[in-house]
Amino acid sequence: MVKYIFKRLGQTVIVLFFVSVIAFLLIRLAGGNPALLLAGDGATDAEIAEIERSLGLDQPLVVQYFKYIGNILRGDLGRSTSYGMPVANLILSRFPNTLKLASVTVLFGCILAIPLGIIAGSHQGTVIDFFATLFALLGQSMANMWKAVVFIYIFSVWLGWLPSIGMEGGIKSYVLPVMTLGWQMSAQVTRISRSGMIDTLHEDFITATYAKGIHPLVVRWKYAFKNAVCPVITLVGMRFGTMLAGTIIVEAIFSWPGLGQLLNTAVNQRDYALVQALLLLSGAMFAIINFAVDIINSLVDPRIKLR
Amino acid sequence: MNRKTLLKRMVHNPFFMSGIIIMVILLLILWIVPNLIPYDATTNSLLEMNKAPEWFSRGFEGHVLGTDSLGRDILARVLIGGRTSMKIGLIVVFIEIVIGTTMGLLAGYFGGIVDTVIMRLCDIILAIPNLILGIAIMAVLGPSIINLIIVLCFTGWVQFCKLTRNNVIIAKEMEYSKASKAIGASDTHIMFTQILPNVTTDIIIIASEKFGQAILLESALSFLNLGIAAPAPSWGNMISDGKSFLMVYPWIAMSAGFALMFCVLASNFIGDGLRDVLDPKRY
Repeated sequence: MVKYIFKRLGQTVIVLFFVSVIAFLLIRLAGGNPALLLAGDGATDAEIAEIERSLGLDQPLVVQYFKYIGNILRGDLGRSTSYGMPVANLILSRFPNTLKLASVTVLFGCILAIPLGIIAGSHQGTVIDFFATLFALLGQSMANMWKAVVFIYIFSVWLGWLPSIGMEGGIKSYVLPVMTLGWQMSAQVTRISRSGMIDTLHEDFITATYAKGIHPLVVRWKYAFKNAVCPVITLVGMRFGTMLAGTIIVEAIFSWPGLGQLLNTAVNQRDYALVQALLLLSGAMFAIINFAVDIINSLVDPRIKLR
Repeated sequence: MNRKTLLKRMVHNPFFMSGIIIMVILLLILWIVPNLIPYDATTNSLLEMNKAPEWFSRGFEGHVLGTDSLGRDILARVLIGGRTSMKIGLIVVFIEIVIGTTMGLLAGYFGGIVDTVIMRLCDIILAIPNLILGIAIMAVLGPSIINLIIVLCFTGWVQFCKLTRNNVIIAKEMEYSKASKAIGASDTHIMFTQILPNVTTDIIIIASEKFGQAILLESALSFLNLGIAAPAPSWGNMISDGKSFLMVYPWIAMSAGFALMFCVLASNFIGDGLRDVLDPKRY
C-alpha cells in the first residue's frame, strides 16, 4: 500500500511539474513584453532594459522558470493588474464561494444520480431505465449556459420564485446554480453507474449470490454496486476537481463571486498573472483530487494496486 | 456481425434511429432554409429591433424567429451559426481521430518508453479541465476560427489515444497479429492493416459523441467571447447576447439554445445507440 501511494505521489508531482511549465510558457507566449507595459509609452530603450533587468527578463528561460517556481513555493503568485492586489489574496477570498457551490452540487448530484443509476442498471430495458437514460442524455446535451438561461427564465422571470444573481439570497441563491451544474454531473454519474451495474450483474459471482438465496435488493445495492463503484468515484472526483477550479460559465451567468468569475475577468482584462495562477491552481486541484481518488479506489477495490 | 444483422440492430434501436433522424433533419434545415429567407445573418436593421417571432404568418418573408437587439433576423443567425458549428465539429473530430489514433497505436504497439511518454502527455493535458485550458489558450492566441480548432483538437485527442492504446494492447496479443509478425510483416503494416481495423468500433462510438462535445465546447468559448467573434453568428454568442434581454425579449436566447440542444442530443443519441448496436453483450 505504502509503495502504491508513493508511486502515485511521484506521478502526481511529475504531472504538476509539467502543468507549471505549461502555465509558465503559455503566459510568456502571450506576447507583449511585460517591461514595455510597465514602462508605458515614451520610455527609452535604456529604461526598458533596466526594467527587464529588475524583473529578471534578461535571464535564460530556465532561470526565469525556477525563479517563478521559487516564488510560488513562498506563496507569492504575483500581482493582479486588474484588481491591483496580490493574486494569492484574491484567490483566497474567492475560493470559499467556489468550494461551497462545488460541494453542494456534488452532494446533490450523487444523492440523485447513484440510486437512479443502480435502479436503471438493474432493470435494463424498462420504463424506469428509459427515463433515466433520457434524463442523462438531456443533461449531457444541454449546454450549461442554456440550462442556466432556461432555469432563470422559468424560475426567476416567469414564476419569480428564485434569485438569478449573486449569493446573498442564502439557500435560495444556491438552487439555480446547483440545478444547472448538478444536472450535468448527475447525467454522467447516472450513466456510468448504470453501465457499471449492467456489466457487473452479468458476472458469475452475482449468479452465485442469487443462488445462495440472498435478497435481490441486497445483491444489487451491496454486492453489485460495490463492484461498480470505482468508476463512479473517479468520475465524481474529476467533476469535483473541475468545479473547484471554478465553474466559469455558471459563475458568469449567476454572478457567483468565485474563481470562475475571477478567471473570466482575468482573461477579459488580459491580467496574465491571474490567468497563470488560476491555470496552475486548477491543475494542482485536479492532480490532488485524482491522487485522493486513486487511494480511495485502491482501498475499495484492492485489485487496483496490482496493476 | 454481418451487414444485415447490423442494419437490423440499428433500425431496432430507438436512440440510434432518433439520433440519425434528428441529425438528418437538422442538416437539411441548415443547408436548405438559408436559401429561402430574404435576410442576411449579419445585416443590422435599426427599424426592426427586438421583434417577436412571427412564426409562419408571412411564410419565410417575415422574421420567423424574430429579431435580436440589432434588428438581425434570428432564424438566419441560428442557421448560419449552425453551419459554422457543424463544420468546426467535423473538422475537429477528424483531426482528433487522426492524431489520437496514431498516438494510441504507437503507444499500444511499441509499449515501453514510447507508451510512457505518450501516456504522461495525455495525463498532463487531462490534468487541466478542458474549458479552463481552452480559455487560457484562446486568451493567448486571440479569437479566430483556426485558433478555435487548434484549441479544441489540443484538448480533445486524448480520449481517442487512451482508448486506442488499450484496445491495441489487447489486439497485439491476438493470433492474427502474431501470425503477421511471424511471416515477416513490417510494424507499420501490422499496425495499420492488421490491428487498426480491429479497434475501429470504439473509435466510431467516441467520435459521434466527441462531435457533440466539440460543438458544446465551441459554443461555451463563443459564449465567453473567446470563440467565434461577433458579428459572425454562433449559437454560443447568441445565447450570450440574449441572456441580458431575458426579461423582455426571451426569444433571442431561446432559439440558439434549442438548436444547440438538438444538435448535441442527436450526436449523443447516435453514440449511445451505436454503443448498444455494436456491443455483442447487450443483446
